[in-house]
Amino acid sequence: MDVFIQLIVNGIMLGSMYAIISVGLTLIFGVVRVVNFAHGELLMVGMYAVYLLFAKFGLHPYASAVPVVILLFCLGMAIQRFIIQPLLNADEHIQIFATVGLSTALVNLALMLFGADLYSVSAPDVRRSVTFAGNTVLVGQLVMLGASILLVGGLHAFMQTTALGRAIRATAQNRNAALLMGVRVDRIYLVSFGLGAACVGLASALVSPLFPATPTVGTYFVLTAFVVVVLGGMRSMYGAFAGAMIIGLVDSLSAYYIAPDLKEVVYFAIFILILIFKPTGLFGFGRGTE
Amino acid sequence: MTHDATTAPAAPASAGGLLSALTRPQVYMSLLALSSILLIPLISGSPFLIHVFVTICVFAALSSAWNIVGGYAGQLSLGHMMFYGIGAYTTALLVQHFGLTPWIGMWVGAVIAATVGVAIGYPCFRLRGPFFSLSTIAFLEVIRLLAIHFVGFTGGSAGLIVPLQIGWKWMVFTDKANYLFIAFALLLICMAASLMVRRSRLGFYLTAVREREDAALAAGIDNSGVKLKAVIISAMLTALIGAFHAMYLTFLEPATMFSLGTSIEVAMFSLIGGLGTVAGPLLGTVLVVPLAELARGWLGAQANGLHGFVYGTVLVLITLTLPAGLVGTFGPAVSRWIDRLPGGGRREALRIAPALRTLGGTKGETILEAKDLVMKFGGLTATDNVSVSLKRGEILGIIGPNGAGKTTLFNQISGFLTPTSGTIAVRGHDGTMVSPTAADAFARLGVGRTFQIVQPFGGLSVIENIMIGAFLRHPGVEDARAVALRVAAVVGLLDVKDVEARNLPIGALKRLEVARTLAGEPDILLLDEVMAGQNQTDTMGMVELIRSIRDTGVTVIAIEHNMQAIMSLSDRIVVIDSGRVIAEGDPKEVVKNRKVIEAYLGEDFVDAQGF
Repeated sequence: MDVFIQLIVNGIMLGSMYAIISVGLTLIFGVVRVVNFAHGELLMVGMYAVYLLFAKFGLHPYASAVPVVILLFCLGMAIQRFIIQPLLNADEHIQIFATVGLSTALVNLALMLFGADLYSVSAPDVRRSVTFAGNTVLVGQLVMLGASILLVGGLHAFMQTTALGRAIRATAQNRNAALLMGVRVDRIYLVSFGLGAACVGLASALVSPLFPATPTVGTYFVLTAFVVVVLGGMRSMYGAFAGAMIIGLVDSLSAYYIAPDLKEVVYFAIFILILIFKPTGLFGFGRGTE
Repeated sequence: MTHDATTAPAAPASAGGLLSALTRPQVYMSLLALSSILLIPLISGSPFLIHVFVTICVFAALSSAWNIVGGYAGQLSLGHMMFYGIGAYTTALLVQHFGLTPWIGMWVGAVIAATVGVAIGYPCFRLRGPFFSLSTIAFLEVIRLLAIHFVGFTGGSAGLIVPLQIGWKWMVFTDKANYLFIAFALLLICMAASLMVRRSRLGFYLTAVREREDAALAAGIDNSGVKLKAVIISAMLTALIGAFHAMYLTFLEPATMFSLGTSIEVAMFSLIGGLGTVAGPLLGTVLVVPLAELARGWLGAQANGLHGFVYGTVLVLITLTLPAGLVGTFGPAVSRWIDRLPGGGRREALRIAPALRTLGGTKGETILEAKDLVMKFGGLTATDNVSVSLKRGEILGIIGPNGAGKTTLFNQISGFLTPTSGTIAVRGHDGTMVSPTAADAFARLGVGRTFQIVQPFGGLSVIENIMIGAFLRHPGVEDARAVALRVAAVVGLLDVKDVEARNLPIGALKRLEVARTLAGEPDILLLDEVMAGQNQTDTMGMVELIRSIRDTGVTVIAIEHNMQAIMSLSDRIVVIDSGRVIAEGDPKEVVKNRKVIEAYLGEDFVDAQGF
């Protein structure tokens, strides 16, 4: 029983990490309607940025969140402006190829610059474990849980209460109608892609103390993020959060009860089943894959 | 399987024999280009060049095989290396455990790959673009992880070494040139398969399904069936190549056999060369692979990541600048140039169109019977107990105000919507009444329909659009072309027959809808507002056309807002309002019906006129 509770706790911790990575993907898909296959590479870029700030300037990973969020916001806008924007009316397969190409280029650029070595930031305070009621978690994981809740809540408040948030929601609902109402759709897309990438920037600052940066770290996380987002119904923040928690639990439990190297098989199986049988997501929150 | 370098993949099956085929510039230029792939490394004798050209052949073959699913069918698989890995592992394990020669083992692998392809394709083909791609990635990952997990079976991540038995029987050689022969033969097979699919009815059908699923259904195409055929061909070819490549590499590990990166590369070569073209995958591979191999050869470990970076960057640049790929962009100009070489510029002799299908049955019998159709969309009842019975040989007009439920009725009697309740029966060719369930089954039974919002296959020419319809009764490409030409002449599209459908004005698109449906030689023709958007002369022409179609024995139902035309045309009129049939009968009677005038012009008008 003790093991089970610890597994649940671990699952929630993993879930909050997946949530914080998936929120940006949800935002970009929900508004720009482009499935960004290079999402994981944004995380990878962020993690190398955190590492460099730590190695060159001794910046604590959490402190580097500010510059990295700004960096990724700009990178996101640049991707939207120079790659996605020109292809908005292109065939879907061209959009897929473009983001897949970007992903391939970024992974290999990292390989050229940093090699295949692991780069870790050392942050002993973040890696310290705390024990409550017999369960052990890392400080960094608790921070991630808090941050993911704040991020989802904050984004929701932003979308509901600000004029920009309303414009973003309008654009997400119907691009042409928003255009007719005087919303500058191109700018909304720029901002949304930037925001989505900025969320990944925050995620990379929080993930860095726990995971080393490698060229393929993004690929590892992004497949999980896609599972999470599809599970959550594609366009709903809350759906993504719930999906992340479920995948965190599945990850933790199946690694223990089935086999550590088969946990991905379990959630990829869930992913495929959801895509086929319940394309609006597990909770029917989003509008799904239509 | 033997290597036969003289097989001409581009040889058309038309009359005139081999000599005539070989003197065509398209054919001899293709053969020259292809043979250089074999001759350059053989003449140089350099082991490095032989390796580079084996790699080119393998990737060009993989890319050609991928293109059948990714290009022709438009299903962007990013997990295609699962078929390659399945072919490789099956063959290697059969050699290791059963001493079975790879020449047989590769076919076992191909059959397993095809089965896996069908099992994945069947549920996943309904997914939209990026989600289909994601699901293929997920399947690839699952298979890779399983290959790692079952160590006892596959050797796990540590890998599997192919037993070193040398000779043709074991497909392992000390003379590397032998590998080149096999790789080249595989390339020829893949390109020949690609060409054959492209030129067959299957190729046209795949394009139709890729462009517009609904219009393809209306042409009687079993959408998932043709995609599954494509995946079977593609998976089998990919597995055969995987089997050979494993014997060449003599070492298998899950990370390289089921690699996502390689899956992307294979797709990328097709995109660079031109998606959905026969030569594109080869051209893309020939341009990109040597660069990467040379970089690896010269720079060694320093170039770690360089070739991937170049690949990714090229991919992004191609999507931004040449989305149609090299062949798609420059192909037409090059082929015009080639046509000017000696032996070019021949025209195919025109074929006599095959006879029309004779329509049986007796005039006046019930040919379609719709009973009590109820169609609910959430809270809205679009058709409310509508019953329509159609007699063979008549023209039935369906009129009613906007939103009355006319098109919803059409969608039900052509199988595009399944009614919430009620039954539809169509007289089959054997004379019995049958109730098909899918739209393509309705079409095959002889229920042809047009769409109110036109659904042309935009990327195909007018004549090819009509051919898609003609294939329903004439599987041969040349027969279908001849039929399509005849139909084009009848509806007045002959002068624009080679224009891409997306460039047609709306009036011509409406006629194209009719032409495509007509080419399927239907018993019952459902026309949904084909006169809208036509000018006065065209409308008169259309009325004449519909009459002449009826005179050939076809039964017609037409939805129309052009009252003058529909009243003069129809033998009988059904009026629908708010989902119910409110009047039915002779056109002259129906126009005087109080309920009908009310439906169109409102109660007030009726009262004011004192009816």
